[in-house]
Amino acid sequence: MPAQTPSPMAINPPSPTPSMFRKKKSSSSLGPMSTAASYLSAVRAADARARARGETPLATPALSLSSSVTASSEDTILDEGEESYSDMLTYPSVPPTSEQVYTTVHSEFGHCSNDEYKYTSQHPPGKPVKPQVEQDPPYYVLFTTYISYIILIVFGHFRDFFRKYFNPGEFKHLVPHDGYAPITSDFDSFYTRRLKTRIDDCFSYPVTGVAGRTIVLLERDSKDYNITFQPTGRKVRALNISSYNYLGFAQARGGCADAVEESIKRYGVSACGTRREGGSLDLHSQAEALVANFVGQEDSLICSMGFATNSTIIPALVSKGCLVISDELNHASIRFGVRLSGANVRMFKHNDMKDLENLLKEVISQGQPKTHRPWKKILLIVEGLFSMEGTMTNLPAIMEFKKKYKFYLFIDEAHSIGALGPHGRGVADYYGVDPRSIDILMGTFTKSFGAAGGYISGSKTVIDRLRVRSHSHAYAEAMTPPVLAQVIASMASIMGVTPALPTSTSAGTITKSRMIEPEVKEAYPGRALASSLPSWMDLPPSVRDGTEGVDRLRRITFNSRYLHRGLEKLGFIVYGHDDSPIVPLLIFHPGKMAPFHRLLRQYSTPIVIVVVAYPATPLITSRVRFCVSAAHTKEDIDTVLEACDYVGEVLDLKHGEGERWPLERITSSAVELVHMERPSRD
Amino acid sequence: MSSAMASTSANLEPLFSFLAQSYTTIENGFNRVPGSAVIARYVRSSHQNDPGRTLLELVLAVFAIWTLLQSRTRADKGDRHFIQFSEKEVDELVNEWTPEPLAEPLSPQEQAELDSIPVIAGAQGPRPRLANTGKTVLNFTGTNFTGLAGNDDIKNKAIETLRKYGLGSCGPPGFYGTVDVHMDLERDLADFLGTESTILYSQGFSTVSSVIPAFAKRGDIVVADRGVNFAIQKGIQISRSTVRWFDHNDLKSLEDVLEGIAKERKKKKAPLTKMFIVTEGIFEKDGQMVDLPKLIELKYKYKYRLILDESISFGSVGRTGRGLTELFNVPVGVDRSAKQSPSHWEPQASQVDMLIGSVANGLASCGGFCAGSKYVVYHQRINSSAFVFSASMPPLLSVSASEGINILRNTPSILSTLQENVRTMRSVLDRLDCITIPSHPASAMFHIHVRSAPNATLHLPGASAGKPSNPNSIVPRDPQQFDIELEERLLQEVVEEALSQGVLITRARRLRAQEMVEARPSIRVAVSAAFSKKECEKAANVIKAALVKVLGKRR
Ligand SMILES: Cc1ncc(COP(=O)(O)O)c(C=O)c1O
Repeated sequence: MPAQTPSPMAINPPSPTPSMFRKKKSSSSLGPMSTAASYLSAVRAADARARARGETPLATPALSLSSSVTASSEDTILDEGEESYSDMLTYPSVPPTSEQVYTTVHSEFGHCSNDEYKYTSQHPPGKPVKPQVEQDPPYYVLFTTYISYIILIVFGHFRDFFRKYFNPGEFKHLVPHDGYAPITSDFDSFYTRRLKTRIDDCFSYPVTGVAGRTIVLLERDSKDYNITFQPTGRKVRALNISSYNYLGFAQARGGCADAVEESIKRYGVSACGTRREGGSLDLHSQAEALVANFVGQEDSLICSMGFATNSTIIPALVSKGCLVISDELNHASIRFGVRLSGANVRMFKHNDMKDLENLLKEVISQGQPKTHRPWKKILLIVEGLFSMEGTMTNLPAIMEFKKKYKFYLFIDEAHSIGALGPHGRGVADYYGVDPRSIDILMGTFTKSFGAAGGYISGSKTVIDRLRVRSHSHAYAEAMTPPVLAQVIASMASIMGVTPALPTSTSAGTITKSRMIEPEVKEAYPGRALASSLPSWMDLPPSVRDGTEGVDRLRRITFNSRYLHRGLEKLGFIVYGHDDSPIVPLLIFHPGKMAPFHRLLRQYSTPIVIVVVAYPATPLITSRVRFCVSAAHTKEDIDTVLEACDYVGEVLDLKHGEGERWPLERITSSAVELVHMERPSRD
Repeated sequence: MSSAMASTSANLEPLFSFLAQSYTTIENGFNRVPGSAVIARYVRSSHQNDPGRTLLELVLAVFAIWTLLQSRTRADKGDRHFIQFSEKEVDELVNEWTPEPLAEPLSPQEQAELDSIPVIAGAQGPRPRLANTGKTVLNFTGTNFTGLAGNDDIKNKAIETLRKYGLGSCGPPGFYGTVDVHMDLERDLADFLGTESTILYSQGFSTVSSVIPAFAKRGDIVVADRGVNFAIQKGIQISRSTVRWFDHNDLKSLEDVLEGIAKERKKKKAPLTKMFIVTEGIFEKDGQMVDLPKLIELKYKYKYRLILDESISFGSVGRTGRGLTELFNVPVGVDRSAKQSPSHWEPQASQVDMLIGSVANGLASCGGFCAGSKYVVYHQRINSSAFVFSASMPPLLSVSASEGINILRNTPSILSTLQENVRTMRSVLDRLDCITIPSHPASAMFHIHVRSAPNATLHLPGASAGKPSNPNSIVPRDPQQFDIELEERLLQEVVEEALSQGVLITRARRLRAQEMVEARPSIRVAVSAAFSKKECEKAANVIKAALVKVLGKRR
């Protein structure tokens, strides 16, 4: 049905006029806007009344313009029973004007309409890639860190010795009993028992609700020094700077969630079976085509788990007689897959291009061990963005090597896809490298897309071969329809859809004055063809025209740069690339991890963070890892900086070199800070 | 974690040479540091006063270097196979080297194999529509045994959860990916199975491959069935433990192998290590069922831990779908009324130490689980890589599974209908003489083999007469003979014939040349409780007619 006069649907659209955090331009479609505006003022009045009464409003009425306008007042954005929450987390500091229409819930995806707080993620073309220098801490910090570990270890053994003597029951599961060897011996589990358990309250914190801009913690308590935890029953909403929700697609409202709901209604929740034996749905083919289009490859294959994408597909690529060259900090799933493949492995120093080149020269000239026969294939596996370091792989250098040394390149873009590049297409997009010149691009949907599972993409020949050979394609359950719908909808939202206006499904919202664009296939990195999406998927206009996606991409880069540089200016040692949404803040001492975590959790605006230490990192570089999201507002990053400033003083963490700024200066000149040229650090 | 430790010990060797060298470097570096003279004087005097402190500091230095060294894999120049090349020679070698292509193009057979994969347009279920023809078919593929796919209660619950939790969990369980609904499902599963505890994985297939190496390490002993599925094979491979194989579903053979190991260990006075029996409840490869009570008896007798993969049987056998433990009435878990043990981790006797099931197959959702004692589960939460290093499953899938358990608990008729449907189909197909069906009569998924030509050696499964097979090799003493290509072609013809009559079945699609032993080609029929008796009769007759038509022609 072509566009006609506005139908009654246009007055009360199923999805509200969805211009996300943009000032609404006065367009020809005045009808819906006036309704939305009057609705807004009404709910704002209701909100004001509720606040005046000093009640805990059950919902965030003014801001929860959800997918269904009529239902929004009953939204359970704040759960009943949530006793502790901070106003700042639920309400934006600047209330929206009637001009602004948000389709998101502030606690899931922060409201931000300031165009200054945006930045494009791109490597400046033509500039050489500077190696990322990692600052070392002062000697006394190193020294005391080692001392801390020694004290912990000595003390742990001391305790083991006495506990074994006085309370053997506690060790029963660690020593042989009834002729069974223990699952772990007391020696093997020493690190876990005597070091990790001490700070176990910082790990596996149970949560509820959306892992968006904020998250609700289910508070817990331990009476036996972290061996068991009991819920206290209290719920605490905290600012979430830990989830891999890079583009903020972890949302219970909005275009993607609507698409998922529709998919559940149409498809149910399961694909019931393996891809090769009856579990292949039309949605799988559509998603695979879209992914290939998104990353700029010929074809792609999806898998229902990100970890399994590596662990079950790498063995289908290389085998005995092949060599895998792997960055020493590659993810566990890559190591798992390489080990299964039977190929030889050599590692090079993290992101060290000199070391890589030396290694390449050595392995090619030496050939296979002992026999010196030439290698069948050499596969270099690196991550686009390293999950613990925030470092970005030096793709231009690798591409140079690739020409000379003829190895195949596999990039794990688990963290970089969506989060990097002016179009969100990952490291290749960031550096302006042609994706087709990279043999394999792998990524996961768990992070930027707010879904689950992973993909692998490459030339048609390679992917077809993987369809025949990969373990998961043959034996693992296929990806479920709701997950596929989220993948398709979020990806389409980053890409934009052409033509931007639907022609048939929701013609009611189209006004006559708008022209229908023709559907033309666009070159990489272009928009997705409307016909490549499921016909029932009814995405809101702001998603289709790509404005929402671009907003997300630019917000995350601003936030990343701001947090990174802000922390540096506060005097912390921060690793990683400026544009990386992963921002590790070094704390070194194992003993400071838990206080950092607890202080932030109990901060006036609770903040949840991730602390990591050995064995996920080298022994001495214990760190806090922030994962910035497009869902955060500038004020959220201010809050994090403020909290870190406070904790950094308390725990003596400001060991960084370089110029320091006071907190006020940082927060007031955020935009300047973000746009600043990086002073070369030697 | 422990693998990191293992690799460090491997690095200790070059440490000593490195130590001497680094000492000078450290000394030089140290002298350059401002104020180092003060420290040097301090150390010297403290050594006089208290030599113990020097020792402590020395330990410290060694420790520091040890840390710096770990995870740095250096060029192994010390290797006696290393050839010294000049720069020019290296360049030449680099120029000369031509790699094989990353992937060979598909052969016509492989292409045909891919093209014959059925694709469903729209919802999965007992009567889906095919994408290529648009025809609606009766679907005997997949794993919708309980018929929960498309259940409206589940859909509603899923939508409700979506509106509260969004879709993805956006984090591994350790870092805010432990959502309350995951804990609920873990509790529901533990209650359902009667175990102390359960751990959820986000993919069923990856569960067992990760559980095995979490427990079995180098030097441990794994005794496994020759017919185990691919995921178990991979789990064993990655664990690097010592493997012994017993004949497929032959517990006599298992006993012989266990006895042999016990004797050998006694002779060698081998130290106590962890020992595991790994097998499946219902075998994915042929639908046979293990005799669980006998298996448990052997496990206790020889003091092994039992890793039982119930990916097919959980949700398809037993009165309410609890799997083999319900069917054989063996309580898996521990006696919960037992008095509170002095330690939280007190090892409890548990009949099946690690029970692995598939949430995807059994509860028509996604993911897998491992049920066992508290300690078994706790251990995996820290040591199982597919759990630790992967995001937790989407909350709405977790809630769907919980609802699935609810439905199974309250509707025993689902499982009785399923069993009735299986009986209906088997009664038609069992008597056919051009095929053999190796599967257990109660298995909701059964395999159809082409009956071997009469002149081929007749081989009854499990009846290895004469000398036992070599337990060190997965290949049995007298392996079944079959012509893979021929049988696959015939079976594909049957599949197509059945499809033309509106019944969707599939060959068991195998990773040829990647399995440790080739499985015999088969048609895999998955029965669902969602079919009526009539539909099952009709389907069985269509399959029968197709088999007769294709295989009868051959005779
Ligand atoms: C580099 C890398 N690859 C793969 C994965 C696994 O992805 P998933 O969590 O989707 O299983 C991760 C997740 O942490 C990762 O960081």
